[in-house]
Amino acid sequence: MLRLIVSRLAGGVAVIVAVATLAFFLLHAAPGGPFDAERALPENVRKNVEAHYHLDEPILSQYARYMGDLAHGDFGQSIKRVSTVSEIIRVHFPYSLAIGVSALAIAITFGLLMGVIAAWRRNTWLDYLLMSIALVGISIPSIVLGPLLVAYFSLQLGWLPPARIEGLSSYILPALVLGMIYMGTIARLSRGAMLEVLSQDFVRTARAKGLRERVVLWKHAARLGVVPVVTYLGPATATLISGSFVVEKIFGVPGLGSFFIESITNRDYPLLCGTLVFYVMFLVVLNIAVDIVHGILDPRIRERR
Amino acid sequence: MRLAVALIVCASCSLPEGDYFGQIPDVHDRPRTLRFCNQGEPDYLDPALGNTTNATPILFAMFDGLTLYAPDGSAEPSLATSWDIAPDMRTFTFHLRKEGRFSNGRAIDAYDFAYAFLRLLDPTTASPISDKLEFVKNYDGYTGNTVRKLLHDAGPLKAGAVVELVDASDKTPDTNLRRSTHALELRDLGAPIADAYAHVPAGADVELVELTGGPVSYPSPAGVEWAYVFWDDGDGHYGWVPSADLDVAPNDDATYSIRAMPMRQWPGVQATPEVLAADDAAPHPTVQVKGRDLLRLPELIGMRIPDRYTFVIETPVPIPYVVASTPSQCCRVTPREVVSRWPRRWTDASHIVTSGPMHLKLWLEKDRVELVRSPTFWNQKIVKADEVIVFNMDDQAANTNYYAAGGCDAMASNNIPTSYLPVMNGEKHSYKDFASKPYNGIYFVYLNTEKLTNRHLRRALAYAIDRRPIPRIIHKGYGTSQVTPGTRISDLSDADRATCGVTRDQPGFAMIEAPGVCYVPPPGLDFDPAKAKEELALARQELGADFPKLTYRYNSGSEGHKLIAEYLQQSWQQVLGLDVGLESQEWKTFVKDTTDGQYQMARFGNIGSIADTESDFIVLFHCKAPSNRSRYCSPEFEKVYAEAKQIFDRKARNAKLAEAEKIMLEDAPVIPLYVYTQEHLTKPYVRDLPINFVDQVPLYRAWLDPDWNK
Repeated sequence: MLRLIVSRLAGGVAVIVAVATLAFFLLHAAPGGPFDAERALPENVRKNVEAHYHLDEPILSQYARYMGDLAHGDFGQSIKRVSTVSEIIRVHFPYSLAIGVSALAIAITFGLLMGVIAAWRRNTWLDYLLMSIALVGISIPSIVLGPLLVAYFSLQLGWLPPARIEGLSSYILPALVLGMIYMGTIARLSRGAMLEVLSQDFVRTARAKGLRERVVLWKHAARLGVVPVVTYLGPATATLISGSFVVEKIFGVPGLGSFFIESITNRDYPLLCGTLVFYVMFLVVLNIAVDIVHGILDPRIRERR
Repeated sequence: MRLAVALIVCASCSLPEGDYFGQIPDVHDRPRTLRFCNQGEPDYLDPALGNTTNATPILFAMFDGLTLYAPDGSAEPSLATSWDIAPDMRTFTFHLRKEGRFSNGRAIDAYDFAYAFLRLLDPTTASPISDKLEFVKNYDGYTGNTVRKLLHDAGPLKAGAVVELVDASDKTPDTNLRRSTHALELRDLGAPIADAYAHVPAGADVELVELTGGPVSYPSPAGVEWAYVFWDDGDGHYGWVPSADLDVAPNDDATYSIRAMPMRQWPGVQATPEVLAADDAAPHPTVQVKGRDLLRLPELIGMRIPDRYTFVIETPVPIPYVVASTPSQCCRVTPREVVSRWPRRWTDASHIVTSGPMHLKLWLEKDRVELVRSPTFWNQKIVKADEVIVFNMDDQAANTNYYAAGGCDAMASNNIPTSYLPVMNGEKHSYKDFASKPYNGIYFVYLNTEKLTNRHLRRALAYAIDRRPIPRIIHKGYGTSQVTPGTRISDLSDADRATCGVTRDQPGFAMIEAPGVCYVPPPGLDFDPAKAKEELALARQELGADFPKLTYRYNSGSEGHKLIAEYLQQSWQQVLGLDVGLESQEWKTFVKDTTDGQYQMARFGNIGSIADTESDFIVLFHCKAPSNRSRYCSPEFEKVYAEAKQIFDRKARNAKLAEAEKIMLEDAPVIPLYVYTQEHLTKPYVRDLPINFVDQVPLYRAWLDPDWNK
């Protein structure tokens, strides 16, 4: 297991270096710069500003400076803001994380519940109902679902805040919108897996032993039934936490996502590269975590390795 | 995308019933707290760096200036109690009050304004908005780092002369570079070494920024000259040291070619227009000097301090809009002692020292800025708010929904999704808290004169556009059709009509720029299909086989730009039978390509910061203007424009400017399409939060009336 983690970490570092390099050169290759605006800067002013951020240096020396700073854990200074990239990540990532984690909790809890129940009562009205809900969850994009929920729960009923984070109740709508898609997918994945598991010999044995159906279902079958869900959860968690841009925008949440998007339109090179590298680190760590959890859940995987 | 969202919102719920859009919260518990939904996140809270419309309402509440924006958007006296404008409109003397205080208790005087100017122009600040001061003497030379003071006589030039470096480039040795053989202790002016806040190691490079004892600098403490230097250690530090500590000047022996600047750029020098013109024409021979003979000093900037409470702004040519510009970022005072310690981070809530009506309490990026009444502000009677909370969400729908739920009391202009507008002010319903007012901005099409070289072709394209349906297209059914900012002539008062010299039945618009000063823009090439066809025929004749394939470019991300592009395409097809291709581009790519001249026709907009056509619109077509994307460079226009710039009398000057604008419009480097409007939502209990033409909202003047409906 230790060898697995070490080799995965080494691979992860290589991925991070590659992504940082690619991001740096792709972004610099994009036309326009941070100071191109509707009202063009006078030549002198542009020179002074570009010199301040070393944008006047040759691209390779900018790259060397950037990678050197990165090696020291310094993501650099945002070109369009007072804060450093590290500060922005430190202050704003927790918002994305909180929404992502609550969305994940919703998705896993309700998704698994729906999947297992649907498999258990397969081809009944309950199965059809639950799977229809899952389908709706998967197919309605958050850009549609978000405003719908805001219109009803915030503007019509006045139960939940329509925007900003002003306490725990503010997390409900964003987490729900973000979690819906994943809930649907988890429900369908776990239903499929459960159907397969429920027809296996050890389940029949368990039933034959006279175990109560609840124990059979949740203790024996579900443990194997969640394996595909765990596989899915690795990348899903990463997307949930890093990919909540749309939800952050709809609900005016000051998460990292909006900085990421803004850094692209602003050509804020350090901020974009920094957030990207941060997300990649996050993804690498999550993937390693998934490998470990896999091993714990399914002894066969552990032994194969 | 935004449209789809809004449609769903509007379709899925019944819109708020009643007279107002959304809830009217009870504000008895907070009559002095304004909650304001901004358009988005401010970039900086530093007047020398912040330039977005998201930043300015906050900046202008935190920093005092010569003048402040009055409720109507004009300049009203603040730290300057009054001012004198010289008859030649080149010298502006501001008399300062003695009660001005920073939030740390220090008195504000003329030296703080000199520092504000220095900070905006000095290359070490790297301010992207230096051009707020482009009217002062040596603006180009100072930002371009080419102007110097001559310290010793050299040939025909006397010590003290204002000179420029000839053939200066990035490789020119820096005359202001200094080092010290021992460690430097950066501190406040005259402070003991024990109070130093930054320690520059021996031998490190510093940049000399200012010396005490100059005409715009503090007197030397106890007769000893001190130097203000910049040490570039990452974020950088500024600070004072006794000049004698800077014992190494590495470029003292470097050789420089210099020549005298034209006399009109010499600060402190007054002369008649004739003398100045003669000096412009006189030869200025090049002289060789050494680095020790030259320094860049703030006294080269067009400003003077005759006494501690008088500040003088000097311009090389007559500028009518200097006073009108003073409420902008150019002339707001910031505390040197704080900026020096943390040049980029001094606006952190833990460091900041302010000078204006409000003080910063909290800034959580992308969420909110909290301001509280500053007890040190001299003019408490204009401050009605004890607290202003500015929410900085980017998304328009989020803002509008937040407003509807009662989260904020008022919204910044143009913060409502376009697709909400028809229901805000449609035929079926009109909410009382919604307002749409004219705005000092204009939407137009640039025609690149280097690609579309044929004048007839450009004129044909301009004549073919009927502007009347455009507001309907973008605002879904309401709005006025207007192509130049100002008031419809038929709506002017009799007095204003007299000022403008127009009659009631005259079509078009006029703009009152100052009391007694009016600008009547020329009508330009309005919709005329017959003339359009005529011009096209001429163009085809002249161009023959070279008739270009036409494309129109706009930036993606806005439904409005696309709709207008399609409307133009359709108009050119119907009136002229021309197939015009449409191209949409990502914003930065679009800006870069159009600036580089890589386009034929492209949409653009321009928001004026003051109600003055000269400073905002006509200048875009000046040959050397950085934003001259149509690359228009007409000798005829340049001549009349330059003549206008020399006229002191504003009436005559505006008439001349209108003449220049007419020449330009007839050449069709631009097709003006419509004047922007500003849409606002303001709860009925909000008082003293006016909407003005330049959209400058003095937030600190607002208060809430909890008993508004009694």
